[in-house]
Amino acid sequence: MRSPKESWFAISRQLSPGRAAVLTAWSFLLPLSIWCVVSYVPFIWHPDVKLEVGSTGATVYTAGDHVGKDYFPTLLAGARDENAGIAEAAAAGEPIKGSSRDNVKLLRMVLPIAISNGVLTPADDTNDAAIYGVWRRLATGDLVMSSPALSEENLSVIRDNWAIMSAISETYDKSALEKQKLLSLIPQGKPANPVYLPAPHEVLIQGYKSWTEEPAEGRSSMGERLRSSIIVVFGGFLLAALVSLPLGIVAGSYDFFSKLTEPFLDFFRYMPAPSFATLLVAIFGAHQSPKLALVFIGTLPHLCLMITKTTRMLDPSLLEAAQTLGSKRFHLLRKVVVPGIVPAVYNDLRIALGWAWTWLVIAELIGVKSGLTEVIDTQGTRRNFDQVFPVIFLIGIIGFATDQFLAWLRPKLFRWTEPKAPGLMGRWFGGVQNWFEPVLVAYRKG
Amino acid sequence: MSTVLELPSYLKQSPEVAARLARLKARPVELEVKGLTKRFMTPDGGTVTALKEINLSVHRREFMSVLGASGCGKSTFVRIVAGLETPTEGEVLLGGKAIRGPGPDRGMVFQGYTLFPWLSVKQNVMFGLEACGSSPTGAESDALQWIDLVGLAKFADAYPHQLSGGMKQRVAIARALANQPPVMLMDEPYGALDPQTRGQMQSYLLQIWENVDVTILFITHDLDEAIYLSDRILVLSPNPGQVLEIVEVPLSHPRSPEQFLSPEFLATKQRIEELIHPNKHASDDKLPMIRLTKVGDDVN
Repeated sequence: MRSPKESWFAISRQLSPGRAAVLTAWSFLLPLSIWCVVSYVPFIWHPDVKLEVGSTGATVYTAGDHVGKDYFPTLLAGARDENAGIAEAAAAGEPIKGSSRDNVKLLRMVLPIAISNGVLTPADDTNDAAIYGVWRRLATGDLVMSSPALSEENLSVIRDNWAIMSAISETYDKSALEKQKLLSLIPQGKPANPVYLPAPHEVLIQGYKSWTEEPAEGRSSMGERLRSSIIVVFGGFLLAALVSLPLGIVAGSYDFFSKLTEPFLDFFRYMPAPSFATLLVAIFGAHQSPKLALVFIGTLPHLCLMITKTTRMLDPSLLEAAQTLGSKRFHLLRKVVVPGIVPAVYNDLRIALGWAWTWLVIAELIGVKSGLTEVIDTQGTRRNFDQVFPVIFLIGIIGFATDQFLAWLRPKLFRWTEPKAPGLMGRWFGGVQNWFEPVLVAYRKG
Repeated sequence: MSTVLELPSYLKQSPEVAARLARLKARPVELEVKGLTKRFMTPDGGTVTALKEINLSVHRREFMSVLGASGCGKSTFVRIVAGLETPTEGEVLLGGKAIRGPGPDRGMVFQGYTLFPWLSVKQNVMFGLEACGSSPTGAESDALQWIDLVGLAKFADAYPHQLSGGMKQRVAIARALANQPPVMLMDEPYGALDPQTRGQMQSYLLQIWENVDVTILFITHDLDEAIYLSDRILVLSPNPGQVLEIVEVPLSHPRSPEQFLSPEFLATKQRIEELIHPNKHASDDKLPMIRLTKVGDDVN
């Protein structure tokens, strides 16, 4: 089909559909693979250490916290120095007196790692008897943790502590913990990227979880949030289209209306839509209406001007021909202008729908936060970026899929337009088919 | 200046042609142009006279061409007749009445086809009929007859982008004629076509004109085309567009492509060329400006 000699870099020449599809796939795979490499290859970047075992020293860190790679050795040294002091005092026969409060805190430090190993559950966070049991089992080698494992250093700390504790009581007894200050666990962790760049699998898992989890009492599920966001985007967009279409067509056809509307719209579009946010809340209340209104005023002036321009670009000789055939005024508008510009206006509307999506996030932040943006805002503030990314991607995917669908639909709606090279989606499906072609041929043969 | 062939005077008409032209001039005047002048404003505030003092009478069922070099204002002329532009001075009368704006009584065929791309061939031809108040069913049966007349019955449901240039122009002619206008204006209709298609289209046009009672005002810059098609030719001078002469074509009817080589044809062509380029031979002497080395056949 394609000549093997044809260059991939022939200037201003279209590539074959197969090659185009390959490149289309790569345009997505490249950023995705960069993300994977940065996330999964440990020696690339990873400026942080994500703690599996926290620290109780001067600064308290809990498991899951990120500390800088440069600071981590200082943290280790601090814990080791403290333990050396405790051990020295004990060896000298004058063990440091402990406080039960500090020692309980220390015992509870194994909780996160025990949870991730499936030994305890988050509900056991104050079940000190069970935690005491875990210490016993760890010290006696009865229990071996594997995901993640405890370092040899920490296991020896556990054995030393257990020796002290078991001498007093085999079972949990808070008052008994006052006798002697226990050795502290040594912070332990893995190289990690900053919280704002979660790994792909974390994003996928969180995305799946947030979609399948039952929402907390009084909160919206993701499905409800998505529906609310779509109503804001499409509602605002459709309202803007409803106003822009007649206005743009009339202004594009008659200079009278053009001069009457265009200068103001030109001015209006330079006033940022979000600057009207508080005003819109004052007028429309705090719920969906002001959000729709924001998308509306963000989209309207541009769309109106664009439709005006599109209308003006209609081949004037078509209008002249129609006039010499007896078409006048409204007949001219209805039978020549409107059908003549519809395919171009369809593209204008596609672009405007893209703008509507960009206004969505700002719109949902005004008044009572709602929809998908509320998740981005609250989880982002809590630095749960693994919950933020799925929402951002969801918005992108829906916008992109809608646009591709509309592009694919266009030649089916306007059959009189000259057939053009297939769009991204057409090429994609064409390409996928090309890849499977040899497989299919082989399959048919035998 | 020596001519190889001794040509008769272009004014000499055979009795048959003379009789035909006499009958033609006895018919009522369909389209009359009186003292037509068109001036344009230039961006720097001056004025340009595109057309000056044009007077013309076109009789019923006459085929009249307007011929001139590019920029002589012939397109402006036909657009004024169509009502798409207004004259600065003078007026255009159709059937004795002054025209005001474009209308279905002057069908027009443009160089750029101007078919409505969203309508099929049939719907394009129906457009004018429906605009003028025909019922959809009446318009459809009328349209099909006109499409048949231009030989495109098989393509009635095709869209313009599926047709060749020649076919598009035939649809445009059917569309202009469907309203049965007394006058059809054609603004360089074949300018965008290749020479072969152009020849075919000229023959088609003559055939159609044989069968339809319509007066044609045909704009062209092609001498052969004008002579082959017309009863009379209005020759315009450039800057400003003025009538140089109205040439009566001494060719008999029905026209056929063989006539392109007849002495009458050549004599008429020579006369029009003299009108359009009066100093042509004088300027020829100055050429070439660049001296070229002769390249023989023995180039390796």
